[in-house]
Amino acid sequence: MSETTFMGVERNKIDWKPTIDYIKCDFCMECTNFCPHKVFEVRESEEIKLIVKNPDNCVVFCRACSKICGPDALSFPDKNATTQKIKEIRKEESNA
Amino acid sequence: MLEKYAILPCNGLDKCAGVISGEIAKKLCEGKKNEIICPVFYRVAETKYNKMAGEHPVLVIDGCQTRCASKLAAEKNIKISRKVTITEEAKAHNVKINNNLRLLENENALIEIILTALNKTEDKLTIIHAEPSGIYDFEYDTYQHGKFIFRVPRNPEIYYNENDCWAYIIGNHARVGVTDYVQQNLSDILYFTPPDIGGIIDQFGDVGEIESSKSVFELISPVSGKVISINETLVQKPELINENPYELGWMVEIELTDIEGDKELLIGFDKYFEIMKKKVEDLNG
Ligand code: SF4
Ligand code: SF4
Repeated sequence: MSETTFMGVERNKIDWKPTIDYIKCDFCMECTNFCPHKVFEVRESEEIKLIVKNPDNCVVFCRACSKICGPDALSFPDKNATTQKIKEIRKEESNA
Repeated sequence: MLEKYAILPCNGLDKCAGVISGEIAKKLCEGKKNEIICPVFYRVAETKYNKMAGEHPVLVIDGCQTRCASKLAAEKNIKISRKVTITEEAKAHNVKINNNLRLLENENALIEIILTALNKTEDKLTIIHAEPSGIYDFEYDTYQHGKFIFRVPRNPEIYYNENDCWAYIIGNHARVGVTDYVQQNLSDILYFTPPDIGGIIDQFGDVGEIESSKSVFELISPVSGKVISINETLVQKPELINENPYELGWMVEIELTDIEGDKELLIGFDKYFEIMKKKVEDLNG
């Protein structure tokens, strides 16, 4: 992965990504067509036709794709918990 | 709903949420002066409905987040005055709607809840106080990419987050809005959904939404605190966010509770300007 950061914290230390509920998802592909960050990957020939391939490409705190998902199949971690986690990591790193 | 509305419902005949939208539209027209805009007929014959939408405020009822009715309104250049999304209401009221096309107990209960809310809150915004002015004469730096120009105000009291939202700190309050980057990406903003007044917001919590035909953007609050007012003007004129996102297009005012703590995770002009430039380049090549 690239060494991108968010708020000074390495991106791969932050757990923020969409999770697809395959019971609800109807593989309409609106989310992946919409998101410019190559977070999803389409796998036409497989039964599960869409996966979250690059979770760290997802913009921390963005939930835009879930807003266009008709069946409401996308969910995200808790924002507040994520903020706290980022603060903790920053603290640890500044003390290190 | 005291005024007469033109009602543009979702026409999703193959989805329960669509059937509910249609039912609500019909109920709102019973014995009342409201009128329905049929989305299917609108596609082939627009004169009558364009006239209706020009003469009356428009209520859009979307079934689900695909927002077909909103998108049709955008396509036809209609101004949306009020808006309901059935799946969102179901979530908010904890009502589970079924997967078939009949209206059963839960669906009817939800319809009642929505109708009551629509009939009661004639205009929940009338209780909101908002200062009229939003002109600050900030000093701007600009970055041009192709035909797009991105402006960012250079002011020590304006803080940004990496989600392209800004907060302008005025004493123990802050005004919050989106940057040029957001409004350019969304293009014409058609609707602003304000947060509840009095609501307590965590840093990075959502304080309202803006919507264009392309997408919906959640305003991610740079600061924590209590929502004390919203920019009422945007409800009628959401295009101000496109025209002037940092001044007249401010969205929410927040009473601050921990600005020093919040600042740890905020950035100033220099850093944001760099991040924004990189985003523009990455996205547009
Ligand atoms: S938008 Fe929703 S339903 Fe469509 S593919 Fe994405 S997750 Fe699945
Ligand atoms: S949340 Fe935003 S960045 Fe992440 S996958 Fe969805 S649209 Fe893309």
